[in-house]
Amino acid sequence: MINKILIANRGEIAVRIIRTCKEMNIKTVAVYSDADRDSMHVRYADEAIHIGASPSNESYLIKEKIIEATKKTKAEAIHPGYGFLSENAEFARKVRQSGIIFIGPSSHSISTMGDKIIARQTAIKAGIPVVPGTTSPITSIKEAIKVSKDIGFPLIIKASAGGGGKGMRLVEKEEDLENMLRLAKGEAMASFGDDSLYIEKYITSPHHIEFQILADKYGNVIHLCERECSIQRRHQKVLEESPSPHITPELRKVMGEAAVAIAKAVDYEGAGTVEFLVDDVGNYYFLEMNTRLQVEHPITEHVIGLDLVKEQIRIADGQVLPYSQEDIRQQGHAIECRICAEDPENNFMPDPGLILHITEPLGFGVRTDTYVYKGYRIPIYYDPLISKLIVWGRTRKDAINRMKRALYEYKISGIKTSIPFLLRILDVPDFIDGKYDTHFIPKNEELLFPKDVEINSKTEDIAIIAAYYHHYCKINKIRRISIVEKTHDYWKNYGRRKNSIRI
Amino acid sequence: MNQNFDIKIGNRIAKVRIINENDNLVDIEVDGKLYKIDIIPVDAGYSIIYNNKSYNVEIIESENSKELVVNTMHHSFDVDIVDAEYRYIESRLKAKMLEGSNIISSPMPGRVVKILVSEGQEVELGQPVIIVSAMKMDSEYKSGKNGKVKQIHVKEGDVINGHQPLITIE
Repeated sequence: MINKILIANRGEIAVRIIRTCKEMNIKTVAVYSDADRDSMHVRYADEAIHIGASPSNESYLIKEKIIEATKKTKAEAIHPGYGFLSENAEFARKVRQSGIIFIGPSSHSISTMGDKIIARQTAIKAGIPVVPGTTSPITSIKEAIKVSKDIGFPLIIKASAGGGGKGMRLVEKEEDLENMLRLAKGEAMASFGDDSLYIEKYITSPHHIEFQILADKYGNVIHLCERECSIQRRHQKVLEESPSPHITPELRKVMGEAAVAIAKAVDYEGAGTVEFLVDDVGNYYFLEMNTRLQVEHPITEHVIGLDLVKEQIRIADGQVLPYSQEDIRQQGHAIECRICAEDPENNFMPDPGLILHITEPLGFGVRTDTYVYKGYRIPIYYDPLISKLIVWGRTRKDAINRMKRALYEYKISGIKTSIPFLLRILDVPDFIDGKYDTHFIPKNEELLFPKDVEINSKTEDIAIIAAYYHHYCKINKIRRISIVEKTHDYWKNYGRRKNSIRI
Repeated sequence: MNQNFDIKIGNRIAKVRIINENDNLVDIEVDGKLYKIDIIPVDAGYSIIYNNKSYNVEIIESENSKELVVNTMHHSFDVDIVDAEYRYIESRLKAKMLEGSNIISSPMPGRVVKILVSEGQEVELGQPVIIVSAMKMDSEYKSGKNGKVKQIHVKEGDVINGHQPLITIE
């Protein structure tokens, strides 16, 4: 069995991985940059190695430094977490060449799925639907018309070099095709200096749904059902839930089988995620495969009842998957909210800084995966994700109510967070009804970004009273003894009494 | 007892006075409305009972202790203590704004990625002058007026604090 693991990451995911290692009696090694000396993962791990300056390309992204730290501490395996080097095929290969276990798939699986075009071809070969469209650039109007006949309208024209919506055109009917092609070509040339275009079917009302899979070294592959990730802001997931309110048991079975087939097609091993787009009537299309642990993995853990990090470690250790597909059952409902250090009232500007105080939610069915603490200064160099709040409930309704309660209890002072925005999402009728797609946030803009927030005047008065009383006691040097201090005094008295009795 | 200050919450400046005080039982007036409360300090704030209703209020002081964050169960309030000092600073700030000096700063801490202008250069209203990066997001700051770059206070690669002057335009 693996005895010591180096975690090539930071933040909440490093802490989360160390937790499981502790439960498995595995020693842990943290790596840290200059900015992370006082970070929680460094404090929580058994050993810690400094690997460079604060910017991640001078520390967490340097393969040699990570491998060197692993050798130095005699760790037998590296867990890459998510982000950083987790989907870097060359890193996985170098790690294995150094005689170290890489907790993740082979570099072949990583590079196959890392290239969008090869991944798409792999899916087609495995008989899995992909979004219909061209794989090579369109060369003429004639060709475009022919392609449009095959895939049908509406379709979308995209720039090959594209990004940020530039060179993108939605075409609703054939008459518009020629004109739109010309416009997209000009825009693509102006933006990227490359006017090659391709055409894809436009999925109306798309749902972003992904399947978690587990595969051992011996070809056993199972899926752990789906996660609904359609609530996104600028292609970043905001809130995820499992099961998806959009998926029927029949569709779950078919899509789960497709996910397993994709994993098998690349000889996958470890934990992975197959992402699909699903339209309103249940057509599904393979998007991509993430060859690592996902940020939102905890919701699967709660609904299925498995610790995914533990499964990753057991697989990397060469153990046979002890479950078959029939053993996997979804129970209850789980929701995750991503809490970021950003200001939702100010266009989600990042807001790093000092955590003055923090009160975490507790109670049945509530989990926080975080790394910040009172007195911690969030560095400016890394991701704004500071905490994931995960709840479980018997039903979706229970889970929503529990999430609201937990978000209200969660008080983080000193920095702005996305908590108020998350609370508003939970109140949107489309969300409550489970009827939403990736257009959720723009569609519900008025509800999510209200102009005036009405506050009960009595609550405001109570806040004013507390603030006034606080300052009043302070400037007049009135020292009111808190309950905690009173209790301390009792103990002091007790101690004094005991000492005098002893004498 | 010094009660010579008010409470600013959002756009509201509330007049508050303590009328009577008997240990934890306090009579306090907020904009003319009397509240008879039972208030005790707990953990990071106060437990208040008013009309048999229980309120758990958390108070977080900023470094200067006159800006407070007040958290109730469902709301978070930014509160300022309005005293003589506050009024003085505010009147000076107003005068400064009227003067029309234009100091560009970022509301949050970060790192200067790029400075797009040089000292002495003419700039137009809305022209981007500096890019600051924080938490993997780049933000562009623009000139608030037509003018000339008087002084650049930072250089590329510098780590900056929120509200620190970056570029002065005259």
